[in-house]
Amino acid sequence: MEAPPVTVMPVTGGTINMMEYLLQGSVLDQSLESLLHRLRGLCDNMEPEAFVDHEMMFLLKGQQASPFVLKARRSIDKAGIPWHLRYLGQPEMGDKNRHALVRNCVDIATSDNLTEFLLEMGFRMDHEFVAKGHIFRKGIMKVVVCKIFRILIPGNTDNIEPLSLSYLVELSMVAPAGQDTVSDEMRSFAEQLKPLVHLEKIDPKRLT
Amino acid sequence: MSGGPAVRISIESASEKQVQEVGLDGAETYLQPLSMSQNLARLAQRIDFSQGSGSEDEGSVAREQDWAEEDEEEEEASVKFQPSLWPWDSVRNNLRSALTEMCVLYDVLTIVKDKRYMTLDPVSQEPLPPKQNPKILQLVSKKKSLAGAADILLKGAERLSKSVAENQENKRQRDFNSELLRLRQHWKLRKVGDKILGDLSYRSAGSLFPHHGMFEVIKNTDIDLDKKIPEDYCPLDVQIPSDLEGSAYIKVSIQKQAPDIGDLGTINLFKPLPKSKPGAPHWQIKLEAAQNVLLCKEIFSQLSREAVQIKSQIPHIVVKNQIISQPFPGLQLSISFCHSSNDKKYQKPSEKQSAENHLYVLEHNLHQLIREFHKQTLSSSMMPHPASAPFGPKRMRLAGPQAFDKNEINSLQQSEGLLEKIIKQAKHIFLRRRTARTIDSLASRIEDPQIQAHWSNINDVYESSVKVLITSQGYEQICKSIQLQLNIGVEQIRVVHRDGRVITLSHQEQELQDFLLSQMSQHQVHAVQQLAKVMGWHVLSFSNHMGLGPVESIGNASAITVASPSGDYSISVRNGPESGSKVMVQFPRSQCKDLPKSDVFQDNKWNQLRGPFKEVQWNKMEGRNFVYKMELLMAALTPCS
Repeated sequence: MEAPPVTVMPVTGGTINMMEYLLQGSVLDQSLESLLHRLRGLCDNMEPEAFVDHEMMFLLKGQQASPFVLKARRSIDKAGIPWHLRYLGQPEMGDKNRHALVRNCVDIATSDNLTEFLLEMGFRMDHEFVAKGHIFRKGIMKVVVCKIFRILIPGNTDNIEPLSLSYLVELSMVAPAGQDTVSDEMRSFAEQLKPLVHLEKIDPKRLT
Repeated sequence: MSGGPAVRISIESASEKQVQEVGLDGAETYLQPLSMSQNLARLAQRIDFSQGSGSEDEGSVAREQDWAEEDEEEEEASVKFQPSLWPWDSVRNNLRSALTEMCVLYDVLTIVKDKRYMTLDPVSQEPLPPKQNPKILQLVSKKKSLAGAADILLKGAERLSKSVAENQENKRQRDFNSELLRLRQHWKLRKVGDKILGDLSYRSAGSLFPHHGMFEVIKNTDIDLDKKIPEDYCPLDVQIPSDLEGSAYIKVSIQKQAPDIGDLGTINLFKPLPKSKPGAPHWQIKLEAAQNVLLCKEIFSQLSREAVQIKSQIPHIVVKNQIISQPFPGLQLSISFCHSSNDKKYQKPSEKQSAENHLYVLEHNLHQLIREFHKQTLSSSMMPHPASAPFGPKRMRLAGPQAFDKNEINSLQQSEGLLEKIIKQAKHIFLRRRTARTIDSLASRIEDPQIQAHWSNINDVYESSVKVLITSQGYEQICKSIQLQLNIGVEQIRVVHRDGRVITLSHQEQELQDFLLSQMSQHQVHAVQQLAKVMGWHVLSFSNHMGLGPVESIGNASAITVASPSGDYSISVRNGPESGSKVMVQFPRSQCKDLPKSDVFQDNKWNQLRGPFKEVQWNKMEGRNFVYKMELLMAALTPCS
């Protein structure tokens, strides 16, 4: 059966258009401890929480060339927590004055039958992975240090192997659109992590 | 010469050198010519010194002779000397100059001796008198060596004092560092530029109060070395913001009547400050005081914000440093923020009404509440799971997937504010106090029956309970009918009877009092019932709520009728909370003398019927209380067989 033609419109989250500001970097496994130690000192004085998440990418091929991408993520180690469905728009590098990558962002909490719903809608799963790591908080900034694991058997999150010998470090912040000044705060925070990890705005288009 | 053959004659010059010998082969051996010194020595050997020469002239003649002799010799031996350099020339010259000198000396002496031409005067010589010189030299050298020694000593002393100062400086530095370390263990510090700033706010504990709460760490090392270092000297000092100086507290009080509106907000109530020790207080004390001021400020600002936001029937009043609320009609709860800065002008004590009114419990609870509030803000900002999810309370995120309705979402958002909580607590405290007072006044006013109140020691902030026992003195064991459990809440008092009945009373004082009075009156009747059982009497009728007789203003009268074991007598008691007790005794008809003989009851058996009731003059009865009197009465009416 052929999927009905879908027109993909830019997605906005309700009345307030939220943007995600993002900086990325990575550290080798050996220097993870020192990075965590530094983050523990810099971030709000809550103990960092460990997490194990399972993320799936869903694609919807529309009429346009670029498919519509949704990320569905669930927590493996915590029970009774809603799934998280996320739409991320095209990243904008911006000029030099903006110190972070910015993209449109819509966050929705959903029930656990999200997968079936998306498949019914015509999405298909592109890839999936497991992320294990720690999450820190500093004000409204979120710092996620995690390792990406490849899932060997589709759907089985127990059977995994690490993708690389390094940890992904993401510094992100969700703010209403147009508040580019918040990226200054992110930059200064990234500066403080400097010798341990270099957080930069990485254009995903260049990676492909 | 011409005639002969030419003969060759070889002519050679006479040998200059003497021939020592001629060898057999004809070779001549020459003597080496004498050197000059050898010549001189040879000539000197020839001088005959014994042949004196009286004068110069003789000498010269002799010399002439010598010279002549020499000349002769010189003829043979080639003489290389120059004539002027004859050997005695120097001797002669010396002698001649000596002679000249002697002559001059002789002349000078003669002239001096004659004193005709010149005299000899001592010439004044330049200083350096030969006698003083050594002393001065000694002195100078001593001086010099002393100065050298002093120099060395001075240098040494300087170095010593420098090292001592350095040591002290080091020590102070070390002290400063160790103090800083200690400070660091308790307070948040960070370095900004060349300053060390600290944070005394409760922000890290979850406070949202916008005050920055910064303090600066100062190195207090420039103290005069010569002065005695005071005992409480500390190389580290802190500078706190001026608005956090002094001491502060929150005063919570409950007053009966409202004061003049004009007086509002002008309350400046201060406990007399404890005499602060002279000198700067320790940084720890300073910081704690400042933190306390900050917390009090936060509490008050939170309360005032809520007071303005919350809609209540009687609006809360916020004036300057005071919040006034009316928990119950005619009652006023006032919360004041008292901050004594160091200037003394506000120290006018208006303390008379304050000291005893201050509810320390509520002040403490306010602190506790704000800390709970802090904790809540901390814990509400849980880390999101999955990690990509936004920050926020988990339950809010569940609202969508679980399809919460409006009420459920409302209940999520609703949270009781600080002010509401503290008002509730104040209400409870007030109600508890009033209940205690009511019970106490009843107990002191009414001796029979007795009221005992047992307060539980451990209470909730919103609920406490008291057990009320109504007993009669001496009969505590048999009269245990009335046991009330009073649960004092915020707005009302719930009374739980021993049999499980629950009565809810409002906060009005009168209600409780009336209730207790009716319970006491019932107690008497219950006591009679219990007594009757013990005494062997029979209960004929019993009613807690009599429908007969005069109407009581509070509650109902209760009544009991008991009959003696033989059935001859009966006692009827009616007890009302207001009217008091009324005791009647019914006699057998036979004992009634004044009863008119009726024609109807001819038979003797009718005499066994009971006759009319007679009231007992109860106040004239003996006995200390009602039950005792009743016991005596029953005993009197029981015939001893």
